[in-house]
Amino acid sequence: MTNTANFHPSIELLNDFTQGKLATGMSVALSAHLELCEACQEKSSELESEAAKSWAKVADDQVTPDFSDMISTIVGQAQNSEQESAGKQERPPVNEIHMLHHSVTLPRVLAKAASQGLVWKRLAGGIKQASVILDNKTQCEFIYMTPGSKVPVHRHQGSEVTLVLDGSFSDELGHYKASDFMVRTKDNLHKPASEEGCLCFAVLDNPLTFTKGFAKLMNPFIGYKFRKALAARA
Amino acid sequence: MYALTPSVDNFTIGSIAVKNRTNTPVNQIKPLAKNDPNSDESLLIAVGNTQDTNAFNQLFVRFSKKIFAMGMKLTRNEQVAHDLVQEAMLTVWQKAPLYDLDRGTAQSWIFTLTRNRCFDMLRKQKRQPNTISADDIWPTEGDGDAVFVNEERGSLEVEIAQIERFYSDLPEAQQAVVRQIFVLDRTHEEAAKALQIPLGTLKSRLRLGVGKLRQLIGPTP
Repeated sequence: MTNTANFHPSIELLNDFTQGKLATGMSVALSAHLELCEACQEKSSELESEAAKSWAKVADDQVTPDFSDMISTIVGQAQNSEQESAGKQERPPVNEIHMLHHSVTLPRVLAKAASQGLVWKRLAGGIKQASVILDNKTQCEFIYMTPGSKVPVHRHQGSEVTLVLDGSFSDELGHYKASDFMVRTKDNLHKPASEEGCLCFAVLDNPLTFTKGFAKLMNPFIGYKFRKALAARA
Repeated sequence: MYALTPSVDNFTIGSIAVKNRTNTPVNQIKPLAKNDPNSDESLLIAVGNTQDTNAFNQLFVRFSKKIFAMGMKLTRNEQVAHDLVQEAMLTVWQKAPLYDLDRGTAQSWIFTLTRNRCFDMLRKQKRQPNTISADDIWPTEGDGDAVFVNEERGSLEVEIAQIERFYSDLPEAQQAVVRQIFVLDRTHEEAAKALQIPLGTLKSRLRLGVGKLRQLIGPTP
């Protein structure tokens, strides 16, 4: 069901998304937000038709290779019928994530992302985290903050996108609930906490840096883990 | 109030939710596109209906350079951009039977399809995990996820009876639009004409009406 979000992606981000310029992880986060937010859905289809129009206006006077050889190969192929295409759609195997007392239905694209299997790890402060590997540029994960949990203060080296899927959490800058989409950059010190519990999908384009107390000890480890994960994907 | 007496055949529940999340830009179909045999739309429809190779040739001439340009912009790799022309135009050929005017202009349809092919080709080239494809990120009308009635909850007849009740709660203007599309099985253009309202108005009423129905019926399983 569509909730009304209070925090939305910027027009620039939506525009890059419709033009296919973003990494897969980031595109997935945006696609999931659009499924939950009608206003952004509308904006994005407007941007898409504008992008198509300006694409179609591009002058054809550039010298390009001759493609006409392709035509005969292409028209030799069979065409799709409506039935074939309808039959191809399958539902992603994982539709929901079970939380403490209830289940959360995932947006379609996240259900697909989760279908590779979620392994939950316990982190400090009542946080659980399950990574999904979607590309080799970003670190994507589902984050479940149990009721009353607090993430140690940290600073982002790159940017982090968070999409709230269920429940709510707060930090210095606001209170976020289902469908909200936030971008945090390296300038934001960040100390999220959740009273009622919260399920999020997060995309990081660089690992976190913890800035306080014992949590600082985790930094080299997280950096190492991140590099290792990237190496494994390459 | 309009009577809603659907037969199971033409009450395409499946497409209700799908139509609610279409990327089709509203109200941008050139009014004469259908009548001009040389419009992109007419050519594309001819390719879809009769495998018209001549029409395909013309589309190829109109779009191949633009597709190459998009490939260069997004990948900065001439070989990939070249392959994109092949892949995208092949997809145009293969999917042409699925195109209709409700999906917006031919150029925006081809743009979307080219962007998606390009996205997938880049992922493949960089050997990224293939869990997610462009079609998951940009779902289109015709993706059949749309079973917004839970099959496990009861028989189709029961569900339809339920929808019928909710339907009568809709404002009359929305009822009229929903009836045109789902009961009389008309295209958006035909329905707009029959109700004498602009296409954009029709689409927004349809979206509101169907959205309301979905809400009343409950969350998608």
